[in-house]
This record gives sequence, C-alpha cells and structure tokens, in this order.
Amino acid sequence: MTTAAVRNAWYPVGLLSGLSLDGKSSLLLGEEITVFGSRDGVPEVESGGRALPVVQRFGHLWTSLGYPGKDLFTIPEADHPDRTLVDVGVVRVKCSPLRAVENFLDIAHFPFVHTDILGAESHPEVRDYKVEIRDEVDEVWATKVEFYQPQAAKSAGGGITTEYMYRVPAPTCCVLYKTCPPRPGEWDVIALFVQPLTEDLCDVWPWMALFDEDSTLTELIHFQQLIFVQDRSILENQIPKRLPLDPAMETPTRADLTSVAYRRWLKRQSYTYGAQLVAE
Amino acid sequence: MLQGELQSPSFLPWVARHSRRLGLTCEILHADARKVVFKVDGQADLIDAFEVGCLLGPFDVWVETITRGPATSDD
Repeated sequence: MTTAAVRNAWYPVGLLSGLSLDGKSSLLLGEEITVFGSRDGVPEVESGGRALPVVQRFGHLWTSLGYPGKDLFTIPEADHPDRTLVDVGVVRVKCSPLRAVENFLDIAHFPFVHTDILGAESHPEVRDYKVEIRDEVDEVWATKVEFYQPQAAKSAGGGITTEYMYRVPAPTCCVLYKTCPPRPGEWDVIALFVQPLTEDLCDVWPWMALFDEDSTLTELIHFQQLIFVQDRSILENQIPKRLPLDPAMETPTRADLTSVAYRRWLKRQSYTYGAQLVAE
Repeated sequence: MLQGELQSPSFLPWVARHSRRLGLTCEILHADARKVVFKVDGQADLIDAFEVGCLLGPFDVWVETITRGPATSDD
C-alpha cells in the first residue's frame, strides 16, 4: 500500500560511481524511474516525465517519488578521515523490502545462518538488550547488544564477544554499529540501504565505513557479500512474504524486541509498503 | 495492564485468540478505550512472548505501555 509516508521517504537508487549518462531504467515502489549520471556533477532521476528530488550521500544516489519533508539522515561517524568507505554494490532479493531490514536487525539467526562467522551454534543465546523508539529523532535504536562471534569482521583475529548497536533511521534503511577489532573504543559502521522495487522485490545496497588498514577493498566487499548471500536464501523463502504487522502471524519473543520495535514504528507512521496488516 | 489507544472492537477478541495460541489462560478484569487489565496464567516464557505480542498488537491498536505484576488475592 502506497501511503504518503511511503511516497515521501528517501530511497537509494544507485551507486554514484556507477551512474550512466545514457540513463538506466529501474523501479521504485512499482513505478518506472530512469536514473541519469551527469557531466556537471548533479545526477537526475525521472519518473513519468517528472524530475524527482535527489540527494547524493554515502556513495549512493537517493530519490523520492513524493515530497520529502525532511533531509535524508546522516551518519556522522562516516566522516572520520581514517575510515575506509566501502560501496559493496547491489544484491537483488525476491523479498519485501521490510523483510530485508528486519533480517538485518535479527541477531538470533547468526549461529544458524552465518555459522562459524557471525555466530556459533554452541553460543546461540541472545542476552537482554535495550530497545527504544527515540521520539526526538524518530528512529529505532537497539543498544547494549552483545553476541559471541567466531569471525566478527574481516579484521578480527578470532572469536570475540561483539557489542552491537542497531539504528533504523528510515523505513528501508538500517545502520549497524559494531565493535571494531583493531580500534577498541570505536565502532565499525555497516549499513543496509534498501530500494523497494515492488512490495515483494528489492535491491539491497550494503555500505560500510570501517577501520581496517590490512584488508583490501575487494576482501572487504567479498566478506560482506558472503554474509548477505547467506541471508538471501533465508529472505527469499520467508512466509508470509510481506512483513506482518500483526503478531498473530508469527510469535515474537524477547530476542525479537528490535524487530517488534521496528514494526511498531512502521505502524505508527503508517508505512505499509511490503507489510501485511492483518493475520490471514 | 495495557495502556494506549485500545478502542478497536477487535482488540479483546484478539487478546483472547493470542493467549489461546500460546496455551495461556487470560481473564479480562477491566477494559476501556485507554486501558485493559487482565490476568494471565501459564508458562513464564510464554507469558513473556504474550507480552511481546501485545506490545505490537493488531494493526488498528496502539499499545503505549505494558505494566506487569504478580496476581494478588484481589484479582
């Protein structure tokens, strides 16, 4: 369902480094759009002969089918000059855009989907953590999330207990802050920007801002792609396909509090594209 | 005790269905548009799951807060 909240949100539609002057066709919320690179440095997006608003941020081009009432969110940590900024690319997934975000927020699947990398079957427990909808910024935050990980990052030498923070600053975007193995006290930033092509199909644009002086860009991209490809097989087989906003469809538990906060937040702002409202 | 925007006529039947699905017994003690009080019996972790489910609630209801406490003899 395309509500005002859905149309007025910002969405990623391409890598700034990959835009074509000839234009490239794509979909946004089921509507055809064309994304153009530009010689003068200002890319354009058109839909039905109308020029759409654009923002260039985090290495991606963002647009909206409506009239966004606020600027695209920022990630201040990404401005640190020592960080490596990684445009991972795009992964097309046959799933609801909201399912893609929700999966990113789910810690409990790590031992079983990312076995021996982000989780271990011998350490499946999710400890209590804090979740809140921060009204002052209108974002979902989960903090004090701790989890044992055999290979938390490309730069991790072995198993460590990783601390996470999750942030949902926009309905189809999520940002993960996690323990940075080479720099205690700093956070690695891994974001997932999701372009809703339709309610059941999306392009996922992962992006990272890391402290890692040892790995090559190719190695960092391969690590993140490995993780996301493992997620894709799960995402494409979820039932129901759309994200239920009624808990009778699934039975959330305490480990799912971030997902529940995300669904509550979507419900409060009537963001329903890719959602299933009533249990069937 | 749930507080929020709970006026939807579908809410109390939803509470009854959801508690049954989890194998809990649920007795409604008070219900108005802003507050519902009920007594739930059953396995502790399933009562936790019931609480988490109620926090999300059906689409036409907004649960603002949930307060839990042990049942008293007055209940």
